[in-house]
Amino acid sequence: MTDPAGLVSVLGSTLGAWYDFRDLNNLQRLITEWIADWGPDWLASIIAGVLGTLGILGVIGPTLLILIWVERKVIARFQQRYGPNRVGPKGLLQPVADAVKLILKEQLAPRAADKLIFFLPPVLIFVPGVLIWGVLPFGPRMSVADLNVGVLFLLAVSGTTVLVIFMAGWSSNNKYALFGAMRAVAMSISYEVPMVLALLTLVVFSGTMSINGIVQWQQQEDVIFILLFPLSAIAFFFAASAELNRTPADISEAESEIVAGYHTEYSGMRFGLFYAVELGNTLVVSAFIATFFLGGWWLWGLDQWVPSWIILLVKTGAVYFLLIWTRGTLPRLRVDQLMGFCWKALVPATLLFVVVAFVERTLLISEGWDTTVALPVMAVINIALTLGAIVLFARVSRPAPLRRPARIRMAGAQIGGLRAARQVASRTEEPQLQVGGD
Amino acid sequence: MTIGIEHYLTLGALLFCIGFFIAWSKKNAIGVLIGVELMLNAVNLTLVAFSRFGSAEVALSTQVFVVFIIAVAAAEVAVGLALALVVYRNRQTISVDRTTLLRG
Amino acid sequence: MSDFGFHLAFWSLGAMTIGGASMILISRNLIHAVIWLVMSMLGVAGLYLTLSADFIAVVQVLIYVGAISVLMLFAIMLTPRAERDNSQNIKTAGPAGLVVLMVMIATMWVAIDTDWGAVREAALTEQARLIGESLIKHYILPFEIGAVLLTAALVGAIALARQDDEDAAIHAASLQAELEGEGAVDPVDVVDPPIAADASDSEASS
Repeated sequence: MTDPAGLVSVLGSTLGAWYDFRDLNNLQRLITEWIADWGPDWLASIIAGVLGTLGILGVIGPTLLILIWVERKVIARFQQRYGPNRVGPKGLLQPVADAVKLILKEQLAPRAADKLIFFLPPVLIFVPGVLIWGVLPFGPRMSVADLNVGVLFLLAVSGTTVLVIFMAGWSSNNKYALFGAMRAVAMSISYEVPMVLALLTLVVFSGTMSINGIVQWQQQEDVIFILLFPLSAIAFFFAASAELNRTPADISEAESEIVAGYHTEYSGMRFGLFYAVELGNTLVVSAFIATFFLGGWWLWGLDQWVPSWIILLVKTGAVYFLLIWTRGTLPRLRVDQLMGFCWKALVPATLLFVVVAFVERTLLISEGWDTTVALPVMAVINIALTLGAIVLFARVSRPAPLRRPARIRMAGAQIGGLRAARQVASRTEEPQLQVGGD
Repeated sequence: MTIGIEHYLTLGALLFCIGFFIAWSKKNAIGVLIGVELMLNAVNLTLVAFSRFGSAEVALSTQVFVVFIIAVAAAEVAVGLALALVVYRNRQTISVDRTTLLRG
Repeated sequence: MSDFGFHLAFWSLGAMTIGGASMILISRNLIHAVIWLVMSMLGVAGLYLTLSADFIAVVQVLIYVGAISVLMLFAIMLTPRAERDNSQNIKTAGPAGLVVLMVMIATMWVAIDTDWGAVREAALTEQARLIGESLIKHYILPFEIGAVLLTAALVGAIALARQDDEDAAIHAASLQAELEGEGAVDPVDVVDPPIAADASDSEASS
């Protein structure tokens, strides 16, 4: 790549200045350094923490409002309907209307509820939801706290959500809430295992537990981890969407089975808080998938031209769309299917890849191979292994043939659902259902 | 006043004694396990305090010891709770003073 | 270690730890007790941070808050008819209190009275790497033994807590016999329910 020397040096001269929009942390750094000049250290660190938290909340609050609209609109497209389109232009103000409705609603509490524990969860669930954002690197120097145990911190903080969900479900004193909570807890602690193992491959291979360090390793070796460890990426994606209670795995709030799961008894804004945190967690998990497996704020030199946080946001959006896609496409799984998939498929597969990562890392170090040659070879081997594992899984878990194969005898089964729907629509002279565009 | 090792050791001792009393006095087997966990945490706190304030040679080995204690505590809780489940299944109670079949 | 921020952190986290532990002692409900335990554990994790042991602190949150407390809650939920009551004490609680008081006075006296020597200012850095290296170099044997212990605990816990298929079959069969008034059933006949169990297994896994 030719070095765009002139432009880079011009941009480089603004590095560290507060108006440098490529590094939004500069302003905070300036303020804390200014306070540290005249004030005590503890005041500077408290101010830094408050500024970081405010920054996070200021970003995710409005983003959530937009995300609610985006998710409902995209899901509607998947299901061939329009989605919210009444409030504001193209329904953009629908989330605001929803929020106002939720705030105005009465907040009920069951008489038999355990009062203290019932009131705490909507507040407590915010704590891990906000804390996780703290270790997300938006750029080379742009994270609230670049811990050297960042990966472990991420796992620890996301693990505490389970407890809050249990508190919510148990204290409601409602059969369905307790069912939902127990399902959520059982599923979270099961899916935490493949999640940890998938991240362990990255930690082993890059030799660091700092999240920014993992991104910098990918930048240094010019490779993104989804090419090196595709199965870990797939397993992490599944495990994360299970931990998030999203539709293919939302058995803990399956409305056809157990009303609304652990937040059955929460009304008004208390439910709104649960909902908001769930969406925020989805966003942060897509950001972490982008960071771990897609290179985060780095994209083959593009980060010299475009602010790094915009690159991360675009990647996050892509992963988020993938999450919406799975939600819109796949039906809900049963409890035993989910558990079986975790323990019989994901855990052995990720364990295999931990071993593979150990072997390859040891070979790289002890043999002193040239990484520009060795890494592509390893990537090819790992992709082949991944495909083999997926084919093997498909073979083994093929559904058993029915004893009496039944032919579908429904009228119009030969033409696909879409064409049938179009025919019906044109026959009844209603506005034509359009699939693409608006 | 400077906060030194004495503060942490006193805190650890206090926590240990509370855990000791819980483990000794509670009737419920899970309550007893909670007490044991508190005692182990107090020991960990003391060890980490020594790691921070002690001589440089012990700084690392105490932390490794803490990791081992946490691992053993996890194993202990898993087996202890499984035992509680078995006792409950056989006798419909997990009170430690009512499971007295082996008393002479 | 003498500035205001450090004092604030130490005293508030210490109060959180001791307060949570004391609330376990007096809370009447076992589930409340576990939640107070979580609060105490979080306080201890914060104290680790003030001692600049960040790896241990994160592991503490991961294991105690994320795993052990959830395990305890599960055990409480799985023993429904046992006493959820945490307030009952055994008969020797009074003497136990005296003994514990004496232990407390002794340990605290030792902690305060002993001259622990000079304070070392520099804390350990890069602890995760150092601990990991020493685990597989210097402490390799304890590490292996710990691994074996964890595996044994895993297998043991599953073996203990698992409801035996044979027991369940015998139980179900004797219940059935009781209902039909046929008297006791020979356990050998029902030990191996061959077809039905297999069919349901394959259905569940597909």
